[in-house]
Amino acid sequence: MRSEPKIAIQGVSRSFGAVAALARVDIAIAPGEFVCIVGPSGCGKTTLLRILAGLETPSTGQVAITREDSARPLNTMIFQESSIFPWMTVRQNVGYGLRLRGIRAAEIAERIAPLLELTGLARFADAFPYQLSGGMKQRVSVARAFANDPELLLMDEPFAALDEQNKALLQEELLRLWSATRKTVVFITHSIDEALVLGDRVLVMSARPGRIKADIDVPFPRPRSVVELKQDPDYVRLNHDIWLLLRDEVRPAA
Amino acid sequence: MSDKPPQIVLIRPAPAEAALHLSPALLAVASPILLLLGWEAVVRLEWLDSRFFPAPSDVLVALWQMLLAGVLLEHSFWTVQRVLIGFVLGAVPGALLGLVMGLSPWIRAFLKPAIAAVYPIPKVALLPLIMMIFGLGEPSKWVIVGIAVFFQLLLSTLAGVLNIDRIYLDVARNLNATRLQAYASVALPGALPTIFAGCQLGLGMALIVVVIAENFGTSAGLGYLVWRSWQVFEVTDMYVGLMMIALLGYLFQLAMGWLERRLLRWKPAATAMKGTP
Ligand SMILES: Nc1ncnc2c1ncn2[C@@H]1O[C@H](COP(=O)(O)OP(=O)(O)O)[C@@H](O)[C@H]1O
Ligand SMILES: [Mg+2]
Repeated sequence: MRSEPKIAIQGVSRSFGAVAALARVDIAIAPGEFVCIVGPSGCGKTTLLRILAGLETPSTGQVAITREDSARPLNTMIFQESSIFPWMTVRQNVGYGLRLRGIRAAEIAERIAPLLELTGLARFADAFPYQLSGGMKQRVSVARAFANDPELLLMDEPFAALDEQNKALLQEELLRLWSATRKTVVFITHSIDEALVLGDRVLVMSARPGRIKADIDVPFPRPRSVVELKQDPDYVRLNHDIWLLLRDEVRPAA
Repeated sequence: MSDKPPQIVLIRPAPAEAALHLSPALLAVASPILLLLGWEAVVRLEWLDSRFFPAPSDVLVALWQMLLAGVLLEHSFWTVQRVLIGFVLGAVPGALLGLVMGLSPWIRAFLKPAIAAVYPIPKVALLPLIMMIFGLGEPSKWVIVGIAVFFQLLLSTLAGVLNIDRIYLDVARNLNATRLQAYASVALPGALPTIFAGCQLGLGMALIVVVIAENFGTSAGLGYLVWRSWQVFEVTDMYVGLMMIALLGYLFQLAMGWLERRLLRWKPAATAMKGTP
């Protein structure tokens, strides 16, 4: 089924001095797949994503990413912490990737208008980040990444700092955007619920040095209704299984 | 258990809202005026020797006469011109080199020791050397001001770039920004608040340096006015020169503050207010 992976991670490890952050990670991700990675804090999730983003190099092993369209950027990362530029307006932030590629201002405006609309940012297009709430800033990050229109979207706990309502709203927006564009997504989270609501597949990582401990298919059909999904007995069982896997990792070794 | 009845804690609007509004601007004007009034009184009471400390009213009369005669504006014009030319000459390369050193660890490691060694030399100590090289005319004044401003801007800009959160550079890198694009979209705007602080300091430094340089090879400029008054013991004229220099410094600050508020609209108001003189 997964004959030609979009991303093939083979034997990737990474150490920082004496600290081994990642230990021999092997993952194959199919084109258009939405993969969620859960793992205890400090297990190397961010490091793995930064390697995929080209911001960090592996100590051993290799990553092969298949590029389909040389006119589009390969990947765009959404960072864990707030990463929108304080010195740019919402509009300038969202259009930033396009501007770097030398696209004309009129075309940028045209391309980001529907995204600003979809993420509820249109009214704040000319505001500076200090005038926005945390949820809105995160929307700007998401909109900036989608505006850049990469083949591969790398998301590092993008909604972790948000309250439940904003989180649910942004998850739905993300699914809507994703189903319209069918990008390959690698989404890191520490929330099992979030992983099951969003992903086609959930990878569970071990404590540091991180390995892939389990690879779980999420069988629920799309489009998913978050409220109903949480009643589904399969959902409850999967959630519990993953929770047990994670608990073993968080507990100090017996 | 205590026998005392429970107390009620009231939380109400701050009394300041009802009280008389003392604006910061008013307070800012009050201190120089009080200083001048006190000075005037002390001289009139002959507690201070008016040969060295003429009364402010006498200084203002002299200032008014020199203003009417046109000499004061002429002196000011020359000083302002030297400061501005020297400032641009020093600030632009200083800020550019600061940006480059901020983003490139190699160039930083290479140049930092040399700069650390040269920086503590008082810039006015270089004046004789500069006058040997550039002569007594205008260029030596631009150069000495330029050198003083250059170091100030270099160090401020460098500190500003190093202070930028790494994540913004990661974003630029992840979006395939070229080096030049990273300078223009991250390093420069991110360091701009610190660059402005450097400009304020640099302008102050420029005034100091130019006043000393105007002792040589010129018969125009506020520094010249002060030095000549010293030679001919015209103490009142000297004070006129000092007052004009202080006023110029204040006007430079005002102009910078105005520019800063226009360019740093992205800073929340509370932080931007620090720049208001
Ligand atoms: N640049 C770095 N230098 C040194 N240690 C690092 C660096 N980046 C990450 N680490 C270490 O690697 C481990 C994994 O970090 P990270 O990938 O951020 O974990 P996670 O995102 O899963 O919480 C941590 O122990 C962290 O301290
Ligand atoms: Mg992390």
